[in-house]
Amino acid sequence: MKNSNLRGVGTVFRYTVQQHYKNTSVKVFLLILFVLAVASLPAIAFASGGKSEVTETKITQLYLRNECGFPLDEKDVHSDKIYAQVKIKPTEQDDKALAKTLDEEKTAAAAVITLNNEKMQFHIKTTYGQDGEITSSDAAALNGVLEEALHKALLRSLSVTEAQEATVRSTAVSQVSKISDFLRGAEEVGTDTHVFANMFYCYLIIMLTSLSMGYIFQLCMEEKVSKLVESLLVSVTPLALLTGKILAVTVFIFGGAAVIAVGFVISYFAAQQFFSLDTIRAVLEKMLSFKLSALHISAGTILLLLVCVLLAYAMCASLSGIVGSCCSKTEDTQQASLVVVMFIMIGYMAGALAPMFESDGVNLFCSLFPLTSIFSAFPNFVCGKIGLPVFLLALLLQAAAVVLLARTAGKVYQMMLLYRGNVPKPKQLFAMLKEQRAAAKAAAGKEDTHGAE
Amino acid sequence: MGFSVTELYKKYGEKVVVDHLSFEMKEPGVYALLGTNGAGKTTSIRMILNMLAKDGGTVEWNGGPLTLQTCNVGYLAEERGLYPKSTLMDQLMYFATLRGVPRAEAKQRIQYWGERLDATEYLFPPQEGRKPPKPKKADQLSKGNQQKIQLLLSLLSDPELLILDEPLSGLDPVNTDIFKSVIHEEIEKGKYLIMSSHQMATIEEFCTDLTILNRSKTVLQGNLAEIKKGYGRINLFIKAEQELRPMIEQAGITILSSVGFSYQCRVTGDAQANALLHDLVQREIPLVAFELREPSLHEIFVEKVGETHEEQ
Repeated sequence: MKNSNLRGVGTVFRYTVQQHYKNTSVKVFLLILFVLAVASLPAIAFASGGKSEVTETKITQLYLRNECGFPLDEKDVHSDKIYAQVKIKPTEQDDKALAKTLDEEKTAAAAVITLNNEKMQFHIKTTYGQDGEITSSDAAALNGVLEEALHKALLRSLSVTEAQEATVRSTAVSQVSKISDFLRGAEEVGTDTHVFANMFYCYLIIMLTSLSMGYIFQLCMEEKVSKLVESLLVSVTPLALLTGKILAVTVFIFGGAAVIAVGFVISYFAAQQFFSLDTIRAVLEKMLSFKLSALHISAGTILLLLVCVLLAYAMCASLSGIVGSCCSKTEDTQQASLVVVMFIMIGYMAGALAPMFESDGVNLFCSLFPLTSIFSAFPNFVCGKIGLPVFLLALLLQAAAVVLLARTAGKVYQMMLLYRGNVPKPKQLFAMLKEQRAAAKAAAGKEDTHGAE
Repeated sequence: MGFSVTELYKKYGEKVVVDHLSFEMKEPGVYALLGTNGAGKTTSIRMILNMLAKDGGTVEWNGGPLTLQTCNVGYLAEERGLYPKSTLMDQLMYFATLRGVPRAEAKQRIQYWGERLDATEYLFPPQEGRKPPKPKKADQLSKGNQQKIQLLLSLLSDPELLILDEPLSGLDPVNTDIFKSVIHEEIEKGKYLIMSSHQMATIEEFCTDLTILNRSKTVLQGNLAEIKKGYGRINLFIKAEQELRPMIEQAGITILSSVGFSYQCRVTGDAQANALLHDLVQREIPLVAFELREPSLHEIFVEKVGETHEEQ
């Protein structure tokens, strides 16, 4: 490929990017994405009842009505630094009287502990005044402290020693693995986690590719629709034009992704200020049947993720370039987009469903065949379903497919720029490409002769 | 030196759309590429500019192949447009940058051509009250004004070779005159111009050499003045105040058309016309007009294209 064929790529790229970001709707769209990303983790934590991370309390007085028969030790409540200064006053007031007290005392809370003997279930209800200074998370944190104090009271009633208590409270970490992973000390990723990882990754790729498809279609047709193509072609080659445009779409897509990523980082730190992220993680893992600790994630994984996402994007962008180049008017894109969607869906379905077969053969095939590989190779690697050599081979095959598709996209774009008509069928397109190739060969032959003369 | 096209050939499937077209321009001037609709003019231009793959033939500029790198080409295409939602200035600067014109130079050229084409108010919109001027977008312009901007785009790089495909189609008389003056300016600057048009009178005003295409084939080629000379002065126009038909027919002259006492005739040469004039003077018939002239390009075109239609 001659460098002169790519002259003007930078100018096309800059112009396309500038025009894109001058559009007000794009700015608004990015702003909405950013706000949603920032709000996401606090919203999830809030919705899932994430425990508040309280650093100080407004509660000065606690009215305790303990009806369970197991007296709480004040020291157990005061052992928590935040609630060390809270005065605990036992009370026998009924609910109405407690409500009146809490209305009058703005920094007072009340706790009622009961026992359901039939179910052998304790209830700790902590309440606070409606117009007081106490927050929900503050009361929830106090409730947690009371729960711990009750637990200790129960153990004491059974005369359990500290050593015995430590034994009772010890936790168990369970692990299931194949013998090869067992010998490495690695944990096997369960089907649920594998399915989740694949699904999550597939959604990511689908989002990127479907967004880019629309942009690429639009940009491939832009000059045809505005009838500007011939004026442009005396200034820049079709290859440079297409390359500049696809690079610009890359910036739109990954720029958008970067905005979301920054939003998530802010969201993470913001959520940390108010909620316990361990709790959020636990809720999410439970909700999605997913075990983050089981994934083979290291510092390099992020880099590999970027490489994989870029390759997946490049493959779908090239495919969109080929199909988009065949469109002459907006109506054509509806029909043409089905072709790209069909390819993406095949890859997606294979990527998303393959883990359910729990077969190494299926995982290997999906990881190596370029169309499915863009959806499967990375999650399979992260879940330990394929090794590093297979993963690297998969990336190599993907890169080769990208080069092939990109070159074809360049040729089709060049050939179809002046084409006006219905979207050609694949057979017609191949025939046209063949004709173009023969003409190019003939022209090259003439040029050689010319040079010899 | 100069510009040449040799044996340019293109076919789609079995259909030949440009059949071994050859012509050359040894020195600056205007070359006209004429033809009926579908004769292959635009296809030829697209092959000349490497937009379309050639099935045969070569295009040379100053002895080497014509490419984006070897020749600074300006092109006003027949199918023309602008980015509808971009500002005019953005588009012009984009094209200038693609052609390697420095920003400052590009701004000067836009200013100059904007004034020449009477398009300054769109390119540099005046301030309205306290609000800053709002840049114009292409879809806010009329078709004629868009055409001015398109011509400006083709002139931005100060091209050595300017190809104008139907430059005057769709323009009102005022804008036609503006375009004509710009074309004259480029001719005076010593540029190579290739023009394609259906408006023969316009072509005749500018061109020195021409090729007439019909159904992909060259039917006439050469220097316009020599072609006309070759035909000789065979068009006779007579206007009188009485009926002349019997006298004209008696002289063996063919009457092509007549309105009242005005006659468009075809003569074999000067002698036949002079004999008729002598006869009319002897009969003391008062004449309003008696004009013997060469055929117009329009007439030559119609005749040549008609001949090939009859042959086929």
